[in-house]
Amino acid sequence: MADASMQPALPRGRPEIEIMTDTSADGTRQDLPGGYLVWQLGLGVVLLGVWEWAGFVTGSQWVNRPSSIGYQLAQWSTGEIYPHLATTIIELLSGLVIGTILGVLAGLLLGRATRLGPILRPIIVAFYSIPLVSLAPLFIMFFGVEMLPKIVLVSIVVFFLLFFNTFSGVATIDDDLVATLQLMGASRREVFMKVVLPASTAWVLAGIKVALPFALVGTITGEMLAARSGLGYLLNQASQQFDMTAIYAVLAILMVVGVIVSEVAVRLEGWLLRWRNTNT
Amino acid sequence: MRGAVDQMAAMGPARSADRAAAQIELKGASKTFHVRGQAIRALDPVDLSVAAEEFVALVGPSGCGKSTVLNMTAGLLTPSEGQVLYGGSPVHDLNRQVGYMTQKDTLLPWRRTSDNIRVALELACRATPKAEADERVARMTELVGLKGFEHHYPNELSGGMRKRTLLARTLIYEPETLLMDEPFGALDAQLKLVMLEQLQALVQQRRMTVLFVTHDLGEAIALADKVVVFSARPGRIRAIRKIDLPRPRDVYTIRFTPEFSRYHEELWDVLKDEVSKGTDI
Amino acid sequence: MSEVLASSQKPADALAAGAPLPAKHLLEGRATLARVVIVGAILAAWQFVPVSRGIKFWLSGPWEIVTTLVGWVVDGSLWSHLAATLGVMIVGYGIGCSVGIGLGLLLGFLPRLHRVLLPFITAFYALPKIALAPLFIILLGIGMGSKVALVAITVFFLLLNATIDGIKDVDRDLVQSLRLMGANSTELLSKVLLPSAKPWIFTGARIAVRYAFTATLLAELIAANQGIGFLIEFYSGNFDSTGTYAAVLVLVIFSVSLTEILSRIERRAASRNA
Repeated sequence: MADASMQPALPRGRPEIEIMTDTSADGTRQDLPGGYLVWQLGLGVVLLGVWEWAGFVTGSQWVNRPSSIGYQLAQWSTGEIYPHLATTIIELLSGLVIGTILGVLAGLLLGRATRLGPILRPIIVAFYSIPLVSLAPLFIMFFGVEMLPKIVLVSIVVFFLLFFNTFSGVATIDDDLVATLQLMGASRREVFMKVVLPASTAWVLAGIKVALPFALVGTITGEMLAARSGLGYLLNQASQQFDMTAIYAVLAILMVVGVIVSEVAVRLEGWLLRWRNTNT
Repeated sequence: MRGAVDQMAAMGPARSADRAAAQIELKGASKTFHVRGQAIRALDPVDLSVAAEEFVALVGPSGCGKSTVLNMTAGLLTPSEGQVLYGGSPVHDLNRQVGYMTQKDTLLPWRRTSDNIRVALELACRATPKAEADERVARMTELVGLKGFEHHYPNELSGGMRKRTLLARTLIYEPETLLMDEPFGALDAQLKLVMLEQLQALVQQRRMTVLFVTHDLGEAIALADKVVVFSARPGRIRAIRKIDLPRPRDVYTIRFTPEFSRYHEELWDVLKDEVSKGTDI
Repeated sequence: MSEVLASSQKPADALAAGAPLPAKHLLEGRATLARVVIVGAILAAWQFVPVSRGIKFWLSGPWEIVTTLVGWVVDGSLWSHLAATLGVMIVGYGIGCSVGIGLGLLLGFLPRLHRVLLPFITAFYALPKIALAPLFIILLGIGMGSKVALVAITVFFLLLNATIDGIKDVDRDLVQSLRLMGANSTELLSKVLLPSAKPWIFTGARIAVRYAFTATLLAELIAANQGIGFLIEFYSGNFDSTGTYAAVLVLVIFSVSLTEILSRIERRAASRNA
């Protein structure tokens, strides 16, 4: 069995970005004069300043300068960037929604199927072990260069991650909770709605959290390979023209998109799983 | 001595005369589990009958198959031999006439206290208007002393509070029969007495049949019409004793009456041999 | 077990509990048979259900695909591609792991510095790494260097975070009690921090293998003249569906073997620890 290392993403008790403890590992209080924000801002300013200075001194296109990147961003923000941004976001979101819905449904159904589930499990695991993002060229071959191949790619990547995670989650559902509801007279549908679905939420969310960055990677990869619009396309164009300023500018935008995506994932999990997070 | 106790049981008058039909009946029911190819006998063939509206307590050492009796009555387990009848017909599939308060914590962790208590009222089979459900939940919450904790999730409650939530959840829909597996194990002595009194009142008022597993002999005598003593594994009935204490019983003071002491002494004589045979002492 | 409600037995299983159960290997054998039948049926349908020439162009067939793959093995071209993928992956993984763990230990030890750097680390962590490919290609060329850099930076962030998380997870009371015994920082590191961060680091390293593999393939898709990713991109770019599927089959065999090897290593490590 290949199962041992192919573990689903485990639901975690607390959101991951919770590392703001006020004592360090060696037990001493950690504080900085003036507060952390000041230091962080200061460091940011210093880094940008050094970069700007280095770019100015070397005059090199490779090193580039924050000011010209900023100028590029400002220029784009007057209109040129929005169609690209829209393309990427539409591909990302459609793929996410389609993949999540289908993946969760399939995971729930097959997870509750006591006969078929165990038979199909190794096949699912095998699929899960393949880096499906790398099949991007296949979908471009099938579906052309517009948005469709990226949406299909993202959907499939998300589908398998969510399917596998939901499937594993359903297997951990406490049979005693199911029996309790059944004894109260719950129908199959009621057991599903009141036990199976909420109990799987943690697993589904853990799956979504893993799937989000993969979805973004899938979208960008697809766009870099063949597209007419989108941030990945913009990046590809820039690199073919050796336009370093544009490359850095796209990277800056992608960084913001990435941060927003992961922040949304963490918030969503924190809110939906508040029954886990709270502790006396 | 065993014979003497059984005889006494047979002579004891019933709580009410019109209770001929057995609500729950085990006829030579036994249970053998197969664990990794090994057969483990949990329960020897047992004959037991619980009349409608009767309160029966099962006592015995740990692992003596008391819970197996409850599981078979609930239809969660099928007897290996013999039969389990409920209301005159064999139990197969889940028995939805019973409310089962298990030893294990089966609260839904994603529901707040009041929503956990409410869950049975949400089901289509006894759909309850929201206003009525709210009112019943509030009453039940107060009854088990969880007022002020309605909006806590199970992992914010203490072990005793969770037990009480389980109790409230089981009692609220007033099932015909209550199966209770050491419901008050985790409670402190004070609170336990309060709960015993509430349970007694509710059971009498709603005319429920109760099958109650406990390892506390005092609790069993204070509550039950009939106490059944089980032997160590494989479980077998060692004694059945009718408890003729007048109702309603005052659970606070009944322990100090001479009748109570007599029952206690007599049943403890049977029980202590089994307990010393048991695995956990 | 009989004391717990239903224990592990669902009502349906409980019925079977009384009867002698079929031997386990018999059940497993039947499941395997079912799997073979399912997969075989799909392959047979793929091969034998007649379709129009146009559709056949896209669908190809199992026989054609396997023949193509065998051809690659026979003429030896497959091995250089496998070696390229494996080489990039291993070198990038090694660099990413060592730098990630090293810096992770450092930042775990300097919590103030870590807290100052946190927003920067988070931002870079969230950036889809594949977007760095054009930058690396321009800076390091189309050869192995740019791909190794991409894999290394992917692995680096995973191991950095895993190591820091591991050190933060250390039991504070344990640290305090060792301090009270008079342990200095080095002793603290070797006796408490490292041992308790170890499982976190191992978990991070295990997960990172998958990410390293994915990053290698993606880098090969974007720009390469060798490797499994290159094969997929090359054949699909030429609308050669048989070649594309053969490359995907290589990918599948590679992925499954990688997973299998990893789980063997893990099991051996687990049994040694136990």
